[in-house]
Amino acid sequence: MIVPPVVRLVVRNFRSSIDPITLLVMFGQPAFLIVILGTMFNQLIPHVGASGSYVNFLVPGMIASQMITGAVLAGRIFWLDRRWSMVEQIFCGPFRRAEYLAALLLTTLLFALVGVGIMALVALPLAGLPALSGVELAVILATIALGATFFGALLVAIGSRIRSANLYFTIQSLLQYFLIFISTVYYPVSAGTPTALRVVVYANPLTYAADAVRDAFTHSFGPGDLTAGGVLGSLAAVTFVLAILAFRRLEFGPVQ
Amino acid sequence: MREDRGRVLRPRGRRSGTTTPGGEAIARAADLGFAYRPGRFAVRHLSFELRRGEVFGLLGRNGAGKTTTVRILCTLLPPSEGGGELFGTELRSCGRAERARIGVVLQSESLDFVSVEQNLRLYAFLWGVPREAAKSRAEEMLDLFELGPQRDRKPWALSGGERRRFQVARELMHDMELLFLDEPTVGLDALTRSRILDYLADRARHGLTIVLTTHILHEADRLCDRIGVLHEGRLRTIGTPSEIKRAYRGARTVETEFERALAPSEAEALESMLARVGEGYRLLDRRGDMVVFQAKNAESLVAEVARWAGSVGVDLARIAVREATLEDAFVHIVTEPSGATFPFAREAG
Repeated sequence: MIVPPVVRLVVRNFRSSIDPITLLVMFGQPAFLIVILGTMFNQLIPHVGASGSYVNFLVPGMIASQMITGAVLAGRIFWLDRRWSMVEQIFCGPFRRAEYLAALLLTTLLFALVGVGIMALVALPLAGLPALSGVELAVILATIALGATFFGALLVAIGSRIRSANLYFTIQSLLQYFLIFISTVYYPVSAGTPTALRVVVYANPLTYAADAVRDAFTHSFGPGDLTAGGVLGSLAAVTFVLAILAFRRLEFGPVQ
Repeated sequence: MREDRGRVLRPRGRRSGTTTPGGEAIARAADLGFAYRPGRFAVRHLSFELRRGEVFGLLGRNGAGKTTTVRILCTLLPPSEGGGELFGTELRSCGRAERARIGVVLQSESLDFVSVEQNLRLYAFLWGVPREAAKSRAEEMLDLFELGPQRDRKPWALSGGERRRFQVARELMHDMELLFLDEPTVGLDALTRSRILDYLADRARHGLTIVLTTHILHEADRLCDRIGVLHEGRLRTIGTPSEIKRAYRGARTVETEFERALAPSEAEALESMLARVGEGYRLLDRRGDMVVFQAKNAESLVAEVARWAGSVGVDLARIAVREATLEDAFVHIVTEPSGATFPFAREAG
């Protein structure tokens, strides 16, 4: 059986580049947050919009944030591939650069889906899960796919232009926390939210993803979510092109 | 008196003596150049071809452009000017099909975060080698490169020499027609190096074309059918090792041994004579009955020394002009003023 190049690269990404401790930390942290934040804030915040309880509000946000977790893991694989010259080695082999990029993004998506599954399992005893229709499930998966493409391509594009591991991982950590905290993952935007903060929150693509997943969970999916999906899709397309351009100009040789 | 004239020994590893295989050209550089920054060329005006089944050596000092040349030919870098072909396809248009026919051992170490054995098998999987073939080939490579005891260790935990062996072993996990080896034997001990060279020579005998960059010149002399010398990004000469050595016109070494130790006055007289008639004369060693010196007109000095020995009544036990080594020729080529031309630079630009 001939395995397509992209699939071979994805299998290689899973088998070689991620150690169990990293996976435990990456997926354990949001699961831990659902348990702790969900339990603690649930007592303080009696009601959050259509979600009802705070934990019901938090779970879809954490599910949406798994696209960031996936992207961080894929960015890490890419950076390690650069550090250990596997990018060069693979580019000398029977692969197109676009296939390597596609494999990274597919890896991002798969990690994100694994994260979604873990978050759902953790949330089940705390908040339960709503009965989703086929459309709502498709909306969640499409949102995760577009978001994973956007964030994965963004980190790969950044990683392509940087030759220092310290700098890359600093930027990645900042971006990760900035995107998650200045979004609607943990808390809603309300009338009382300062305008400046509201602008920043709505400039963050993760907000649209979190809102779309949340709307699917509360069966209140509407035209606004379609617009959000369009924005997310456009951004994903732009960052994908940026990543391809960055790959074309990728400088080989040692990185620090 | 016994006079040893330098002679060319056929190296153990070389396949066909000093003749160049006349196979079809499978890769070609035509006035090829590459600039990492606009106007600053790392290599320029490279024109040569790689023929099927040959071992082609790329020699040069650090920064001469060897690695850049390899990177262009294996399609990692697009030419900035000029062009070339790989298996008949223009370098800029080469894709997966052409790269599937080459193997590359890069100068920098590359690895996946699994054990040595898993690395070999994972790499074979990446190249689409069937599972059973990959398994048996991994065993073959672990055995050949003496990595069996390290099979379960992570590559980064290996010694420098073991890591280099691992790099070559991993690349040989898949089939190829053209293999680029960028300094594959750095850090290897002499025995391991010799075994790897023997193995590569055997693969070349069976039709594999090899491009080898190295700083170990006797290694190139032993293995390569043809050699190209790069200097400051330009190809200064191309030829067989014998051609390059024969074309060498620099100083050569003369070893002289007398039947008895020379008296200090005799040694001084000999040195004085050699300094007078020797072109670029340089005394390398003088101990008792032995005098070793270098001169450009080494062969004519043999007669001068014999004449001098007769005139002072000292018998010569042995006098030999050492055959120029590839290192002699290489140093000569890369230290000549830029623009100098060398014989056999038929393809060199």
